[in-house]
Amino acid sequence: MDGLISFLGAVGSMVTSWALIDVVWATLLGIIVGMLPGLTATLGVALLTTLTFKMGADRAILILICTYVGAIYGGSRSAILLNIPGTPANAATALDGFPLARAGKAGSAMAVATTGSVFGGMVGMIALAVIAPLLAEFALRFGAYEFFWLAVFGVLVSGQLTSLDDPVKGWIAGFLGLFIATIGQEGIYAVPRFSYGSTDLSGGIGLLPAMVGAFGFAEILTVMRQEAYEAVRSKADSVWSGIRESYKYKVTALRSGLIGTLMGLIPGVGEDMGAWASYAAARQASKNKEEFGKGSIEGLLAAETGNNAAVPGALIPVLTLAVPGSAPAAVLLAAMIIHGIRPGPLIMIESPDFVFSVVAMVFLATIAMGVLGLLLTRPLVMVLKVTRERLMPIIFVLCTVGAFAIASRTFDVWVMLFFGFFGFILRELKYPMAPLILGIVLGDILDKSLRRGLVLSDGDLSAFLVRPISMVLWVTALLFIVMTMPSIRTQLGKLVGRKSKGDSL
Amino acid sequence: MSQPSMDKADFVSSIVLTLFGAGVVVESWRLPRLEDLNVNPYTVPGIVPGFIGIFLTLSGLFIFIRSLKRGGWKLRVTADGSRRWITSAMVKRTVVTILITMVYAVVLFPNVPFVIATPIFIFAFVVATETMKYGKLPGMVKLLTALVLAVVAGIVINYVFQELFYVRLPGG
Repeated sequence: MDGLISFLGAVGSMVTSWALIDVVWATLLGIIVGMLPGLTATLGVALLTTLTFKMGADRAILILICTYVGAIYGGSRSAILLNIPGTPANAATALDGFPLARAGKAGSAMAVATTGSVFGGMVGMIALAVIAPLLAEFALRFGAYEFFWLAVFGVLVSGQLTSLDDPVKGWIAGFLGLFIATIGQEGIYAVPRFSYGSTDLSGGIGLLPAMVGAFGFAEILTVMRQEAYEAVRSKADSVWSGIRESYKYKVTALRSGLIGTLMGLIPGVGEDMGAWASYAAARQASKNKEEFGKGSIEGLLAAETGNNAAVPGALIPVLTLAVPGSAPAAVLLAAMIIHGIRPGPLIMIESPDFVFSVVAMVFLATIAMGVLGLLLTRPLVMVLKVTRERLMPIIFVLCTVGAFAIASRTFDVWVMLFFGFFGFILRELKYPMAPLILGIVLGDILDKSLRRGLVLSDGDLSAFLVRPISMVLWVTALLFIVMTMPSIRTQLGKLVGRKSKGDSL
Repeated sequence: MSQPSMDKADFVSSIVLTLFGAGVVVESWRLPRLEDLNVNPYTVPGIVPGFIGIFLTLSGLFIFIRSLKRGGWKLRVTADGSRRWITSAMVKRTVVTILITMVYAVVLFPNVPFVIATPIFIFAFVVATETMKYGKLPGMVKLLTALVLAVVAGIVINYVFQELFYVRLPGG
């Protein structure tokens, strides 16, 4: 009940103040960022973090959340109209959205995407309001052993899920991130590691310049490398039929909302998997499986509900464990720390109102996204006429200035450039970026927790394995990894096939 | 990237990764152990990077062996193939993008006033990439709009950061 009062209070104070203006422009900016191929939600949130770091905490976090919500939704527009996902989270959207647009139903498809995104956002928001306080209370029982396993669990599962065809590459990306986090003075004795006398390196690698490089500059190089995309020509039909169509698939929407939230909750997995897992589940359960990939309203609805539900889902571990659920959530975590907010298990004790403020921010951003998405269907299509040759240099200037602005250090510009090249090469070699970033975020937690745990157990490694929560974490991670290994999946598939054949005989 | 090309890329990158991982192990071993401070040996600074280095070495070796089995070692670099790759439109676009962005970030941004450096960069980028796109220098209207875009973007970004957010940009 206290939570509901805090939530209503936060909504009330935001709608009766200038904050409402921030909600509108930041969500619209997010939608535009998401729509433009080459600009991801992570880049949008990272660049806006550099632009808002002199604002008050509440205002800055509100703007960032609105941008995040808007960008994940905005990516559906280019997926539908150009067959190019605006953000990686909209890849599943393109499968059915683009065939619908080609069939002259672009307006309906955009309305289905909007309805799904709003519904997904609301499901995720309710989960955030319910789960976050419970998880924060539960996390108070976490000690060094549990935080160690949480970090390992996050990196391994994120690596696995973001690189399903080749999980080893996902794990390598995660461990490279963990290594990058060890550069600079370590947190127990302040011994500089891998700094080689450089004062700048002793201070460590900043998360934001690294992310601006890995998601901004690397993306510029990737976009410029590819063939140019054609500016959109298709016209949008009526949006209202799309809303009516969506209602027919309410069960799919609810299922996708729950799956998306769960995917958001898992560290470092986020919106991309939220969309894919929801899409796969919808296809599995659908009576019209053959329509999937050829313009299925149900498929489009599942993908868009799943990715937007993952946004509030990804905020749950950010607030309660200081572990990001996705790459944009990692930036948001960094932004919260910059603004003096301390996410983690103590958040419900130190600042419970903040958690419900975040719920209110997600609520208003989701409403704004739905209203703007429906009202501006036709004007927003104009955004896709901007060519990459004119957009990318401006984005690069923002990447450079943004990296510099955080600490007024030219060194951060070098960091941005390094991560741009490094990220570009890793992408070309099919190494995912999300585990790398998660590794950088979790490196400090893993480092301190392992060393503290070893001191507490006097070097006895079994202490890491036998505590109940630790056991749940490592057994779950192990089972999950084994079950999703391509070779094990094939073997299991054969076994199930043989069993069902045996039963039918 | 096709599977054979990926196997070749994996072959080369796994060697780099394995050597890097081994380097991390060696460097972690060389980190101070603070014996003179009598610190607990389980908390020495090199322990975590050491484990990370071991993981990177082993996984690098795994990819190396896998790429060997898949024939990734058959690199076969020919002069003709290299020439075709270097002169492809994709590589040209990437190289031009890298060159122009590097000149801006490394030379112009730290040394030249922002309101001058940024329009020069944006204009040069647009003209270079549009010339490659259309196969000839863009027409007068396109050049003019590129110039307006460059100047306006430079002024607006400069105003937002320097005047609204009080970030003193380098370059004077």
